Amino acid sequence: MSDYLLEMKGIVKQFDGVYALNGIDLKIKPGECIGLCGENGAGKSTLMKILSAVYPHGTWDGEILWQGKPLQAHSIRDSEAAGIIIIHQELMLVPELSVTENLFLGNELTKPGGRMDYPAMNRRAEELLKELHLPDVNVVLPIMNYGGGHQQLMEIAKALNKKAKLLILDEPSSSLTASEIEVLLEIIRGLKAKGVACVYISHKLDEVAAICDTIVVIRDGQHIATTPMQELDVNRIIAQMVGREMNQLYPLHEHAPGEVIFEARHVTCYDVDKPERKRVDDVSFTLRKGEILGIAGLVGAGRTELVSALFGAYPGRYEAEVHLNGRKLDTSTPLKAIRAGLAMVPEDRKHHGIVADLDVGQNITLSVLGSFARFTRIDREAELLTVNEQIGRLSLKTASPFLPITSLSGGNQQKAVLSKMLLTRPQVLILDEPTRGVDIGAKYEIYELMFELARQGMSIIMVSSELAEVLGISDRVLVMGEGKLRGDFVNDNLTQEMLLAAALDQGEPARAAAH
Amino acid sequence: MNQIKIKQLFTQYKLLALVIAIALIWSYFSWKTEGGFVSPRNLSNLMRQMSVTGIVACGMAFVIIAGEIDLSVGSLLGLLGGIAAVLDVTHHFPLPLTVLLVLACGLLLGVCNGYLTAYVGIPSFIVGLGGMLAYRGIVLGVTDGITVAPVSTELVYLGQGYLSAEWGVVLGIALVALAIVLSWRQRSSLAKHKLAVPPMWRDALRLAAIALVLFAFVRTLNSYEGIPLPVLLLLALLGIFSYIGTQTVFGRRIYSVGSNMEATRLSGVDVRAVKLWIFGIMGLMCGLAGIINTARLAAGSPSAGTGGELDAIAACFIGGTSMRGGSGTVHGALIGALVMASLDNGMSMLDVDTYWQMIVKGAILTLAVWVDVATRSGRR
Repeated sequence: MSDYLLEMKGIVKQFDGVYALNGIDLKIKPGECIGLCGENGAGKSTLMKILSAVYPHGTWDGEILWQGKPLQAHSIRDSEAAGIIIIHQELMLVPELSVTENLFLGNELTKPGGRMDYPAMNRRAEELLKELHLPDVNVVLPIMNYGGGHQQLMEIAKALNKKAKLLILDEPSSSLTASEIEVLLEIIRGLKAKGVACVYISHKLDEVAAICDTIVVIRDGQHIATTPMQELDVNRIIAQMVGREMNQLYPLHEHAPGEVIFEARHVTCYDVDKPERKRVDDVSFTLRKGEILGIAGLVGAGRTELVSALFGAYPGRYEAEVHLNGRKLDTSTPLKAIRAGLAMVPEDRKHHGIVADLDVGQNITLSVLGSFARFTRIDREAELLTVNEQIGRLSLKTASPFLPITSLSGGNQQKAVLSKMLLTRPQVLILDEPTRGVDIGAKYEIYELMFELARQGMSIIMVSSELAEVLGISDRVLVMGEGKLRGDFVNDNLTQEMLLAAALDQGEPARAAAH
Repeated sequence: MNQIKIKQLFTQYKLLALVIAIALIWSYFSWKTEGGFVSPRNLSNLMRQMSVTGIVACGMAFVIIAGEIDLSVGSLLGLLGGIAAVLDVTHHFPLPLTVLLVLACGLLLGVCNGYLTAYVGIPSFIVGLGGMLAYRGIVLGVTDGITVAPVSTELVYLGQGYLSAEWGVVLGIALVALAIVLSWRQRSSLAKHKLAVPPMWRDALRLAAIALVLFAFVRTLNSYEGIPLPVLLLLALLGIFSYIGTQTVFGRRIYSVGSNMEATRLSGVDVRAVKLWIFGIMGLMCGLAGIINTARLAAGSPSAGTGGELDAIAACFIGGTSMRGGSGTVHGALIGALVMASLDNGMSMLDVDTYWQMIVKGAILTLAVWVDVATRSGRR
């Protein structure tokens, strides 16, 4: 029999021909804690979704051995039955149900006739919480009476209740206070002692270093290294995570930014669900004419929230003061922002970018449709002329402007959204993850276009999770972390390590928790 | 493979499928009634019956394409019809003033619904449900629960009058000419942009079919009394709504709001205003439908329009309007209304019990949407 609890061999996962994972190996012994590290989009979540059968057996290639035998899980229920429990970054609790009911959701203890056996469940729930050092919880109260940190720990109790042999924790500490994190780490040590294995995913590398025995680094869907923690420190983990060589991907063109024309002052965004929590905390910055400003940071740092607020598209409460050419702008709605000279290509192309029922041409002209109106009628000829012009300018590959937008590849859909916003002739163009889900060729063309626009004097703000892209394109880089501005660098001898260190807030003493 | 082909055929020729369905329904009823169903007199009746539902369905198609729903239209058309009757019977207002006031009320109440949905953010389902109760309550209050009659002959003429036979022929010829011009313009536009032009015979066949249908339509109605005025109004609305839906900026925005409201908003479209006016148009159509309904019945009845919202919504869905918004056509909705009206009329002629009529209509609606869902190739 094998020593390993779990062996994943040569895992390959494709999305529409793009490799999200390309040959990943992962081995875990009972009682071992693995730290899974990688940049945003490296493939960590995809790998864990395969392990927990969110992507069922057969939708990926490779092999999973569980306790030495092949595991072919077709649903989350199968993998949970085997003892693989995932705790997602977002809480999966039903706020209105009691603590007990949440802990037993889907595994209720019943008496004959399907009645809930509350006394037995309450007893078990109390035992579980005591093990987790949460003794003063009243298990019959609705779970929403307890704070986010407690709820996170209750998620762990729920997992233990399912007799977990392997616990996957995806960013478990993002909503915990410092003392709660201590409790969490203590719990994991206790579990390890009992032989429960863990996969710990976190951007907070101090925690990873404190708790994990082995560090597995993946990058761009490739397995990079598996190293015992004793041989590593936080800086070396960062080096492994980044370790990419800059290559010919970025067509760096000379262009000289001019005067400061745009200024954002005191941007603060409050969480939609918890209005007391700040997603962006008093961020101010400036932008020059013809400058490409990259905004880097990890997932949840508040970058998308920041740029949405500038464009009047942030769904929650926010404060922002925007100045362009020395004038204060009203950007309270996207319509007003566009009229004032701003344009934004949003991050979520499918939900915020394309209109699926319209064809390619209709998508492109959506932003300026009114300008084709002759009395009430749309001048189709003029519209088509503009559409064809745009298709040529962005080398958008489509057989005809009358094809459904959904028939195009991701890169060409992105070009359509981009040209839609360019038609409004903005002075400041905001691009949120402009190359996400875009193939390499189209990426290159989008970069070329950005330089071309910058040369013509357009100022560009680019939010990107790919550090290499930020460094390859930007004149200046802002780094955000936990809603705050953590750095403003001129892109001169700047390295990915420096950006990542700033984003992770290394180099400053560990701050008290975010609450 | 074969299954996929059938699916493709269905999505491409959805309208044709509907027309075939109508042909089947009609042949069944005329067989059962020994030709009574397709007599000019009955067909004229049938079309007048569908006109009220049809007018509401025109507005409802836009509402549903924009991803909303309006349940208040039945009560609203009852209310507006009631107002028309009261103005006419009790206050003896001249007809044009009555019509104008009722339409203004309709627009206002529609805009109210739209404001509550788009600006205040109450789901349109709830706004409609509330309106359904409240408007019906107002009707009962205004009419004291009794029928308001007799309405003036001018108003009755709107619902029961006919276009003279000569004008009917002129109208038929004009429509055929319009179809030819539009088709020719489409061909030349396709050719100009170097796009595949369908073979001439196919367009010719299509035009011949249109001409044949119009000929049969005019001839049948003329051999009774002529084209009923409500049907004429419905034809005009079909033209106007199709124009708005396919040719105007507003129409394009209806589709894009329904398909992806957030992307449309981020493209700088005032999506709330679009929704407001869609509901405004819906109210206006309720006003027209209310007037026609009162005129047809020659009285303002407190229960007028009860269940009208369901007929209109069913017509839209049978006619292929997507439930999640973003696609659908006005002519589809009208064909859907014709299906519903044919079932009503035919089953009444056969003296089918009311409960059976309801069961059959319910089953047909479910079946139509099932076919739609089953043949939609897994988009999204």
